[in-house]
Amino acid sequence: MSIALPRAGLIGERLAASALLIAFAGLFLFFALSAPAFLTAGNLKNILVNNVAILGVVAIGMTFVVKSGGIDLSTGVALDAAGFGFAFALTAAIAAPLAISLGLAAALVVGAVNVLLIARLRLNPFLATLALLFIGQSAQRLLTGGGSPIYLGNRSYADVLGAIGRSDLLGIPTPVIVLALVAALAFVILHRGRLGREISAIGAAPEAAHYSGISTTFVLARVWLIAALLSGIAGILLTATVRSYIPMSGNGYLLDAIGAAFIGTTLRRDGRPSVHGTLIGVLLLGVVRNGLLLIGWNFYWQQVGIGVLVFAVLALSYGLRREGRH
Amino acid sequence: MTKAPDPRLPASQPAVELRGIVKTYGASQALRGADLVLHPGQIHGLVGQNGAGKSTIIRILAGIEQADPGSGLVQVFGEAVSHPSPEEMERRGIHFIHQDRLLVPTATVAEAIALGQEPKFGPFYNGRRATRQAEALIRRHFGLDIPGNRLIRDLSAAEQKIVQISRALASDARVLVLDEPTAALVRREVESLFSVLRNLRSRGLSILFISHYMDEIEEICDHVTVFHDGRHVASHPVASTSIPEIVTEMVNREVGELYPRRSHAPGAVVLKVEGLGRDGAFSDVGFELRAGEVLGISGLLGSGAKEILATLFGLAPADHGRVTLEGRPYAPGSVRAAVSRGVVLVPEDRRRQGVSVSHSIRENITLGNLGLLSRLGLVSRSSERSLAGRGIADLSIRTTGPDQKVAALSGGNQQKVVLSKWLSSGARVYLLDEPTVAVDVGAKVEIYTVLNRLASEGAAVIVLSSDLLELAGLCDRALIIHRGRIAGRFEGETLRPELMLAAASGATPHLPGPNMKGAA
Repeated sequence: MSIALPRAGLIGERLAASALLIAFAGLFLFFALSAPAFLTAGNLKNILVNNVAILGVVAIGMTFVVKSGGIDLSTGVALDAAGFGFAFALTAAIAAPLAISLGLAAALVVGAVNVLLIARLRLNPFLATLALLFIGQSAQRLLTGGGSPIYLGNRSYADVLGAIGRSDLLGIPTPVIVLALVAALAFVILHRGRLGREISAIGAAPEAAHYSGISTTFVLARVWLIAALLSGIAGILLTATVRSYIPMSGNGYLLDAIGAAFIGTTLRRDGRPSVHGTLIGVLLLGVVRNGLLLIGWNFYWQQVGIGVLVFAVLALSYGLRREGRH
Repeated sequence: MTKAPDPRLPASQPAVELRGIVKTYGASQALRGADLVLHPGQIHGLVGQNGAGKSTIIRILAGIEQADPGSGLVQVFGEAVSHPSPEEMERRGIHFIHQDRLLVPTATVAEAIALGQEPKFGPFYNGRRATRQAEALIRRHFGLDIPGNRLIRDLSAAEQKIVQISRALASDARVLVLDEPTAALVRREVESLFSVLRNLRSRGLSILFISHYMDEIEEICDHVTVFHDGRHVASHPVASTSIPEIVTEMVNREVGELYPRRSHAPGAVVLKVEGLGRDGAFSDVGFELRAGEVLGISGLLGSGAKEILATLFGLAPADHGRVTLEGRPYAPGSVRAAVSRGVVLVPEDRRRQGVSVSHSIRENITLGNLGLLSRLGLVSRSSERSLAGRGIADLSIRTTGPDQKVAALSGGNQQKVVLSKWLSSGARVYLLDEPTVAVDVGAKVEIYTVLNRLASEGAAVIVLSSDLLELAGLCDRALIIHRGRIAGRFEGETLRPELMLAAASGATPHLPGPNMKGAA
């Protein structure tokens, strides 16, 4: 029965919503106090460029997919495809703008395969992208003679790579600007736009969306192309930052992107994925990675720290939610 | 498998006795001193509008919720239950058939029925024996053949209900609580359910029967308790009361007409269907539908009536025949195509196909009007807000506000959300599939009023319903489908439930009996 309990749970609701923010603020404070090097402009910039910008772009793509009710295990493949395409084009003396386009096109090919498998043929996204993950990894080994990187150390690339990876605008590094633009655009599309509504409806109630006259095929097609494109952008950024294409480096972003998107869902009581939630998830992961390093934690223990952190955020938001209910 | 409980209990001792129950949620009181007393060997109807406290008292009886401390008394077979819990209540023989189908979709029929008391072969689950037992049980109680190895999710709503009831019958129940058991069943199945219930009653079971269908209460129940506003307002033998009296008690006001009348002045032909057929579903279906008309369609489960609606809504293309919509050919290849031509469906499976329960009322209403509300791909929040506000006011959706989740609404109010989704979309043809299933009497009347208003504003309306009384009251004309063909057209004097029922059952000398097995 619809016995409304509207006001009683409100305080708990607010608190639960901010469990993620509390965790983030707490960690930030902890590292600021325990590692003198943490709260310096240089280090914060370092976090943003090396831990947040690229992962953020990938994770926002993941947010689109998760909101549509899917999961994308091929995000690293699209990222690598772009990196490979971009690096390969540069070594073939193709002009930078065209090289970037080629890289993004390579990522979109991965997206197009997903569109065919998931939007059109309605395969389970987990299985479809898992298959693509396997194929993508083998393909990279085959294309690079077993996995040798393409180095872009040559001076002739320095300008273009520097412009993407190491430049800044008014003191803000380019990758961070790219993330900000991507996030702003994604926010408008997902949270203010028609497409966002359609994606959200398909994710929550695919049949009701279909019965409302929404073309689930076209909406899902756009979701998977957007996700691939964002992974592609991340791939270009990564390649420019590390000045090389290293096969299968996309793997390192897969779990973090999924983690950030799902940690982000705890931001709201209704558990829906959101661009801002994902960004906080990314920041949280970035701060933890960097902070643990600074306080001298063994590299091998970092993942333990992150795992414990995820538990802590979940427990906190669950506890606060219960608190509000009784 | 079903053991008869001891019927030799003293008749004076109630099976279940709830007295003076108070239940408070936050600031609101769901129950304010409610009584409910069930006797063995009795089928006891419980009626009331949504929000009257029926579900709460059932949840307390089920041990899912506890009454406010210090309030009231919960007794089962004369023993006070001090610490009620679902396990405790089940141990005392109280079994529930819930309204929502609480069955594992991927389990087989046999597994669902045997759950918790699986036949064993040594240490192993004896699947073959479970299958045999399940089939025998269903055949014995319902006279139906449902293969024990079929998956729950492949069953129709009616078959799922049958499995659910069979499961309780397989346990040692002394009190059976049926929450809206007939909501998804067609008349024939309702009758077999009733004969099962009568049989159980004669064995001394106490049955609490919750239904929105007054005719069912009158037909099956010995006693009826009416809830209104968290209290029992009446409790009397069914023989000493009448449907209008019960309904009056329920709404606490006089209900003149259950089916509001409207002036019927049909306009131009909107939809013209000729020789429409889909292989394996229906064939040779033809009718005309004018603006301002309400056409009823009905048929037994698997008759093909539902499939006609599906085809008109673009869910499954026709193989034969021709449809003309407002003078232009109409053969929708997709739902999107149907909606863009102004043909909309209010589906039967409301919670899955009608609404997104995890979204707000506002977001659900917007879903049918995204084109109207968007400029340059952005949804106008102010127009959205005013559209939702209008929808809520227009259909008097009872809610705390447009941002309330649809999951928190009653069935009737959820249905109004589905309707208001389409009201602003400029739809011309409304297809409604069992629009008043699991909707309480008050909201039913409101839905009928909306449909009448739509018709009087020039929409063409097709209502599919297995409630023939409803069709007779609501529609101008009705088609009865039997085995994929129109078995009868009813209008004016002939628009009577008993005549339509006869046609739906194929009651003509040359046709064999109705096919009761699942969907075609």
